[in-house]
Amino acid sequence: MRALYRRWVLSYWSPYAAMALAGILSAVYFGITKTVWAVTGEFTRLGGHVLEWFGADLSDWSYFGLVGMNGTTWTRTDGWIVWGMFVGALIMVLLNNNFKIRVPRQKRRWIQGFAGGIVAGFGARMALGCNLAAFFTGVPQFSLHAWIFMAATGIGTYLGVKLIGTKWWKGKPALSKGSIDTASQPTKRKVQPILGGIAALLYAALIVCFFATGHPMLGVAALFGAFFGICIERGQICFTSAFRDMWISGRATMTKAILAGMAVSSVATLIILLVNGMDPITKIAAPSTLIGGILFGLGIVMAGGCETGMMYRLMEGQIVFLPVFLGNVIGASFLAYAWDHMGVYDALVASGSKINLFTAWGPAGAIAATLIVLGLVFAIAAYWQKHYRFGTGFKRGESHHVN
Amino acid sequence: MSIDYTLDIRGESCPYPVVYTLETLKGMKQGQLLQVIVDCPSAFRNVPEEVLKHGYTMAQEPEKNGRDMIFYITA
Repeated sequence: MRALYRRWVLSYWSPYAAMALAGILSAVYFGITKTVWAVTGEFTRLGGHVLEWFGADLSDWSYFGLVGMNGTTWTRTDGWIVWGMFVGALIMVLLNNNFKIRVPRQKRRWIQGFAGGIVAGFGARMALGCNLAAFFTGVPQFSLHAWIFMAATGIGTYLGVKLIGTKWWKGKPALSKGSIDTASQPTKRKVQPILGGIAALLYAALIVCFFATGHPMLGVAALFGAFFGICIERGQICFTSAFRDMWISGRATMTKAILAGMAVSSVATLIILLVNGMDPITKIAAPSTLIGGILFGLGIVMAGGCETGMMYRLMEGQIVFLPVFLGNVIGASFLAYAWDHMGVYDALVASGSKINLFTAWGPAGAIAATLIVLGLVFAIAAYWQKHYRFGTGFKRGESHHVN
Repeated sequence: MSIDYTLDIRGESCPYPVVYTLETLKGMKQGQLLQVIVDCPSAFRNVPEEVLKHGYTMAQEPEKNGRDMIFYITA
């Protein structure tokens, strides 16, 4: 028992295990609720509720009709996925005694995070999903828009890396000669694990409550949300780094783990589609998917985290992600406004269509194509990791030192 | 063990711990020792991995100090 606790609660997981588990869980969640693991749709609704408090009339905003504004965040499964993720991540952080308010020393990080959050939120909603619905859970639904979004995110993150590499953006670290005194911090009595245990018990009671009071779907969402939060926190899953770090230093660990997770999730989703006789969820593939993906990629690199990564980072106490969260909601709300009031839909979305590989090519064709392309990208990522180096890219033979 | 430089990047989130560490190592002479203090949990993993991949060595095991981590890297 103690060994199990040590292995699964007190140690970080391999990102491969975390992503494979999240992939299977998201397929099962789809089988139960007929919706996918997603978060930015709910962010848009949160923005909508705030606008309503300020007296805005959203009835003629077609984007809110599209995402649905029924009830409150506490009565929606999409709402409980979001809060469950926060709670699940927080419980893990506390059990590990790892919560610490981490304040960036460079003030520019606050503005960068806020700006990046807005761009990412805007782009994600333009494409009708973030790194989840238009990516990690979109590819297993065999929706073509997810593939376009993924490629576009690659382009956007490249632009983002160019931007954050500039001197004025990057800033300077505190570098000093010699050693500095790092007084060892006394290990006081640990309060955080106790708080984490209490939070876990209370949250479990809440889930039981949902089932007992006839809201089984909310219970399922709250439970799966927490599982997703635990997976991404323990695996330190970062979709931003999956792209960004390839451009910076050729690190592809996260890239490969996410690709493997999507492959597992695709197979699991296919089984669920066939066994339950369900239809996959397809989103419109249009110019907006491409442009939204590029903006999303740029925004997440500026912000230092995507819509999911920022959730567990915030729970770790990295408070620079507070303006990122706020920016995400503002960006998503602004897109909802621009959708019809500024002609985004007519210009970039109307020409698109819903294309699904499952319906177009049948189950065998869809899964074969998906696995082959995922495999190819995995091979490229592996090659990249082996040969791409910080500052020099693919060029070889350059010295690692000044002399 | 005499430390030549110290990089205190507590409070910085990804990717800056990796970027700052690799940049600093690049500007150092071979054999010099760099101490890096970080508190971003992702950096606990990606800093040592990238340091090794780029041909530097860890002079000793990372030290956990409360919620911070200290790395000792030979350039």
